Amino acid sequence: MSLTPAAREYLLALADDEHMIGARHTNWIGLGPFLEEDLAFCSIAQDELGHAIGLYELLLDDAGTDRTQLDAFALQRAPGDYRSCWLAEIKCLDWSDSLVRHWLYDRAEDLRWKALESCTDPVVAALSLRAQREESFHLAHAEQFLSRLASTDQSARIVASIERLMPIAFGLFDSVATEPDMLAEGFITQSSADIEALWIDAILDDLKRWDLDVDIVAGPGQFNEQRRTVRSDGFDALQADLLKVISLDPIAVW
Amino acid sequence: MHTLADAPTDGRTWSDLDDFQAFIDAGGMVEPGDDMPDEFRSEVFRFIEFHANSELMGGLTERDWIPHAPGLRLKQIFLAKTQDEIGHAHLLYMVAADMGVKTRTEMLEQLFDGRSRFHNVFHYKAVTWADQVAIAFLVDAAAFASQRAVFAECTYGPYKRVLKRIVAEEGFHMRHGEEMLLRLATGTDTQRVMFQDALTRWWWPAVHLFGPDSPSGDTDPLIRWKIKSQRNEVLRQAYVQKYVPLLHGYGFDIPDNELHQDADGLWQAGSIDWEPLKATMRNGGPDSARRIATAAGNWADTAWVREALEQ
Repeated sequence: MSLTPAAREYLLALADDEHMIGARHTNWIGLGPFLEEDLAFCSIAQDELGHAIGLYELLLDDAGTDRTQLDAFALQRAPGDYRSCWLAEIKCLDWSDSLVRHWLYDRAEDLRWKALESCTDPVVAALSLRAQREESFHLAHAEQFLSRLASTDQSARIVASIERLMPIAFGLFDSVATEPDMLAEGFITQSSADIEALWIDAILDDLKRWDLDVDIVAGPGQFNEQRRTVRSDGFDALQADLLKVISLDPIAVW
Repeated sequence: MHTLADAPTDGRTWSDLDDFQAFIDAGGMVEPGDDMPDEFRSEVFRFIEFHANSELMGGLTERDWIPHAPGLRLKQIFLAKTQDEIGHAHLLYMVAADMGVKTRTEMLEQLFDGRSRFHNVFHYKAVTWADQVAIAFLVDAAAFASQRAVFAECTYGPYKRVLKRIVAEEGFHMRHGEEMLLRLATGTDTQRVMFQDALTRWWWPAVHLFGPDSPSGDTDPLIRWKIKSQRNEVLRQAYVQKYVPLLHGYGFDIPDNELHQDADGLWQAGSIDWEPLKATMRNGGPDSARRIATAAGNWADTAWVREALEQ
């Protein structure tokens, strides 16, 4: 079936989020606190990039564009044409931030994919089921690790990371401009605001179980008007890193 | 096929080294619960620790280029490859730690302190993407040949069982290296020039990986105890026979002015300068200091996690 412009915009936002979080997780491989963590982040980053590839190929197919254009589409758009959220884009300088980002993102990602499991497009619905199976492992990893650290004398470090990242985490739920059309068409059954409410409940529940005292400030507002069209600081450097080899020769096949 | 369940629960003992050698010569397999001779324990531990350190430092070399990999699927492939390498290190450190000489933490801290060694090739900097391809094509192939020769006999049970998986995965890496080289070799002028430059940087380190000629006669304990099945010079010569024609076939120049075919048609490398290899074994290679310092810095930065989890 053919995707409406609204559906394309919505799926592009999810694809770009998966791409950027996968790229950022990649930076932590080999830098984790022990080998098992390096291995876990390798798996998670591969999964997230796999989700991005699945969605990008869906969008290419829908547009009648050959899949050989995957990398041009995924990597070489103008920054203003990406729809990723800032939480996925930013560079985390500390392992604690990276772990907390992984938890905040995957809590939301799980809910976002669930909202697509009954999608009227069967390919999207199938992608949703695959992604949810993988997300269950990502979430278990994040929850178990944070739960353990929260019970140690390093809990203040975790709280500081949550407080640092929470304001931009709300950008996960910045709806694309066309979301109302999608709801009207029945492509999705939950708005971003609905998903945000579920996410806040899940985050609060986690914090309560971990006995962490963090103020959750709902909906900071400054992101909503951007509609995912404004890139975070550091995006240009990230994109340059991703394009470092491809940009050496525009006609080369690598 | 041996499994962990095969390991005897009651350790075997040997009256002396001759008795132990007779056990090895009769096809015996040593298991962790055995009362192995101290000399065997020490030499085999050192060999496995070196292998583990090399897998880890190799993974760290490749990780630096994952973000730059030219394409989303290539990024995934290099993630998987790096995961394999770190996974190999993980398995090997466990096998080594079970020998009771050092803990995994001690091995890692000595590696990051610059007090232990790893393969020469990971003391060099990967300058361009073509260096990644050269590592995959030349270095992975050299490591594959070397590891397969150990797996062929390998009388220490846990190491042999782990090597089965490692060799299988390294085989995929080698094939992937061949595929990537093919793309560069049949690609644009930019790609061919990049690979020629990388080949010039990596040919000799790859040849050095096999090490100098093994001690003459029966004096190499790792061969005598059938941990290694082949002498270094035999493996090196087989590597040269395979890779010289492949690289020439793609039209690349090998940086060895004395390289020639003898009367039997065998390729003979020129005289080998072993000084660069010796420098890397002192952790004094071209990029050793930066690489060790970076790994040590990351280890220190995440100490709080390890300490917290011990509470």
